[in-house]
Amino acid sequence: MILEMKHISKSFGAVQAVKDVSFSVGKGEIHGLLGENGAGKTTLMNILAGTFPPDIGTIEIDGNVVESMTPRKAMELRIRFIHQELNLCNDLTVFQNMFLGYEYSKPGLRVDKKKELEHAQKVLDSMNSGIKADLLVADLDTAQKQMVEIARALLFSSELIIMDEPTTALNNREIEKLFTIMRALKDEGVSFIYISHKMPEIFSICDTYTVLRDGSFIKTGAIKDIDEHQATELLIGKSFIQAHIKDAIPATISDDVVLNAKNLSGKSFFDISFSVRRGEILVITGLQGSGTDELATALFGATSLDHGSVDGPNGPLDMKDIKKVMQSGIGMIPRNRKERGILPDLTIRYNNSLAYFVAKHSHLLVNTKEESDRFKRSQKQMGIKVGSDLDPITSLSGGNQQKVILSRWLQLDADLYIMDNPTQGIDVGAKFSIYKIIAELAAQGKGVIVFTSEYPEIHQLSDRCMVLYKGRCSAVLEREDISEVGIMEYSTGTRREALK
Amino acid sequence: MKGVTLSREQVRETWRNITGNYSHWLSFVLLLLVAIMVSPSFLTWNNITNQFVQGSIVGICAMGMSLIISAGMIDLSVGSSVALISGFGVLVLNSTKSITLTLLFCLGAGVIVGLINGLLVTKGKIAPFIVTLATMSAWRSVINQMGQGGPFTVDNSMYASFRNIAAGRFLGIPHLMLFLTGITLLTGFIMSKTKFGTYIYAVGSNQQAARLSGINVNRVKTLIFTYAGTLYGLAAFLLASRLTSIQAASAGMGYEMDAIAAVAIGGTSMDGGKGKIIGTFLGVLMLRIINTVLIMANVPPFLNGLVTGVIIIVAVLAQSNKKGK
Repeated sequence: MILEMKHISKSFGAVQAVKDVSFSVGKGEIHGLLGENGAGKTTLMNILAGTFPPDIGTIEIDGNVVESMTPRKAMELRIRFIHQELNLCNDLTVFQNMFLGYEYSKPGLRVDKKKELEHAQKVLDSMNSGIKADLLVADLDTAQKQMVEIARALLFSSELIIMDEPTTALNNREIEKLFTIMRALKDEGVSFIYISHKMPEIFSICDTYTVLRDGSFIKTGAIKDIDEHQATELLIGKSFIQAHIKDAIPATISDDVVLNAKNLSGKSFFDISFSVRRGEILVITGLQGSGTDELATALFGATSLDHGSVDGPNGPLDMKDIKKVMQSGIGMIPRNRKERGILPDLTIRYNNSLAYFVAKHSHLLVNTKEESDRFKRSQKQMGIKVGSDLDPITSLSGGNQQKVILSRWLQLDADLYIMDNPTQGIDVGAKFSIYKIIAELAAQGKGVIVFTSEYPEIHQLSDRCMVLYKGRCSAVLEREDISEVGIMEYSTGTRREALK
Repeated sequence: MKGVTLSREQVRETWRNITGNYSHWLSFVLLLLVAIMVSPSFLTWNNITNQFVQGSIVGICAMGMSLIISAGMIDLSVGSSVALISGFGVLVLNSTKSITLTLLFCLGAGVIVGLINGLLVTKGKIAPFIVTLATMSAWRSVINQMGQGGPFTVDNSMYASFRNIAAGRFLGIPHLMLFLTGITLLTGFIMSKTKFGTYIYAVGSNQQAARLSGINVNRVKTLIFTYAGTLYGLAAFLLASRLTSIQAASAGMGYEMDAIAAVAIGGTSMDGGKGKIIGTFLGVLMLRIINTVLIMANVPPFLNGLVTGVIIIVAVLAQSNKKGK
């Protein structure tokens, strides 16, 4: 199949996700699609797979224009899309999942399970996966589930397979297996579009590449003509330097250690050690799936640690009880405000007071005036724009909601703040006012750990930056050593630092 | 003065506010008007107190149900728990001859019944619907076995003094009316003035966020069931006093339905997070008024449930319309 996408543009509301991008893939070609989070890769692929139509632009296959692509039509054209997130039903068997929507039938409205089982097993065996097709999907581990997703795409002969980050849950041996399958299919003339953040993978499997940045086309060419460093630079562009918030609000880092984590291991992070001093901002970064999410929640006692210990400002922490962690002087702003932060039915005032109630408020009763004053203070300090603090929190803009969540934790007057993606999904103005608050906290002598994957945030905030790659620490950089290219290289596994 | 003229938008907004936040008052007044039209004698003191007396025991249970639903849970075991405790309560009364001990027994048994539900939900990690379905079945069975088909009847020696608790009046006001009003005030106070009340709404609104704010979600849920259980205990005590003879198979039958209905009609969201105690209080009264109107309008008693059912659906539909724009 020869695919050509011409002058594709797509907007979601005011956000232009893809701007005039042209893109082509030849027969038997593995094409790497590169770009940072939000660069427009997934949007472009969703347009190709018919999930939604482009605003402008055409899709041509083997020289013929395809009008109004739908998922069904894409299937008929033998285009398969392996999504990043797993789309499997846990309570069905492997083969039932693989044939979902395309079952073999027998007379009498029956499903020909025997035929499905045989066919599915054949595909799984050809992949050397070692997975039995009659197992329940719930009994598989994440890597096996990802293999089943891939097997589903191989079930019916395909001509173009789109893989969006297919290796996030796979280990090196499994990735090698996947690549062997891909090479074999390529020899049969199947084309691939391969989306990944991991440079070594792109460079070992792809023939050609296209780079997108901020929804625009940047460059396309043959992989053999560039190296990993050049690719990383294309990906992030010339980084623009903004005024440093940290220079405007300087903090003195004392020798007083406020948190000391030793040999932490959990579900997806291993043997992580670090310490944070008063006045210091430590940024922990890594790609999706690198273990940063789990590390953040584990540090607060919200998920369990398998191994390791954490010493807080007042001695060792009991990591099994969130309230005790809070009372030992640690506050945490969780990621994903909508799911983990806001209480949508509660007023702004109570959203603001909640953590204080739990950790510091020793009476049974709530004093309305006290809570109203508490909110007025927060409002002034954080610049929260509200009508009345008795309105539901959902009446606020995302940035103002996030300020309320932040202020909820500032009520604790903790010694250490853990902030997990504190500026997720809010506009630039609100981001900067949150950076300012974080820098001020450090200036007051508090320790701050910020988890983020956005470079401008790392650049603005960090005194030190720890980078995770596949659950392990791949580098700890001091402020003067931090560069966007460097961080990208450490988080994609291009470079690794030998650590003591 | 400027700004006297309201724009269409403002009028609509105000109207939405009234129908949104005060819908239970609105429907209460409407229903009351209907009742007065059907029978002008509805507004006599005698009838009003009678409405309260009829609704108070279920009403006390509905207050517990209000907390449970506000936290996003449900309790189906109300009727069986009340039957269990009141049956045993009569036995305690007959053997100890002490009303105080009987009251303490009923409240204590309520705490235990509530704790069992709460611990199964939190420690056992079983859905509240299933837990309380099981306890509903279990408690009814236990009390049936104890009664062996016969009633639990208060001894003649205790009859007059015990019956006076539910049937008596204080300054012309029936005791039951005072009990319901007292429990409503207490529950309303807990929900709106204490930290615990805020935690209940928080758990019902977003359990994940509540947990990450340091709230011990399991403890909150257990306490809610325990408080509700204590109210069932009080309701059981009052029921025994009112009837002085408890039929194991039928006592408290359908209380869970009436309690859930009162909470729903009163404007509490079935998804949790939202709801006012005063709404539940009005919901209890509305159920009584509907009942009375149907009798006065000579609607066949068998159709009573149909009308109640329709009214519940209408009440909940009105809520979901508000939410989904």
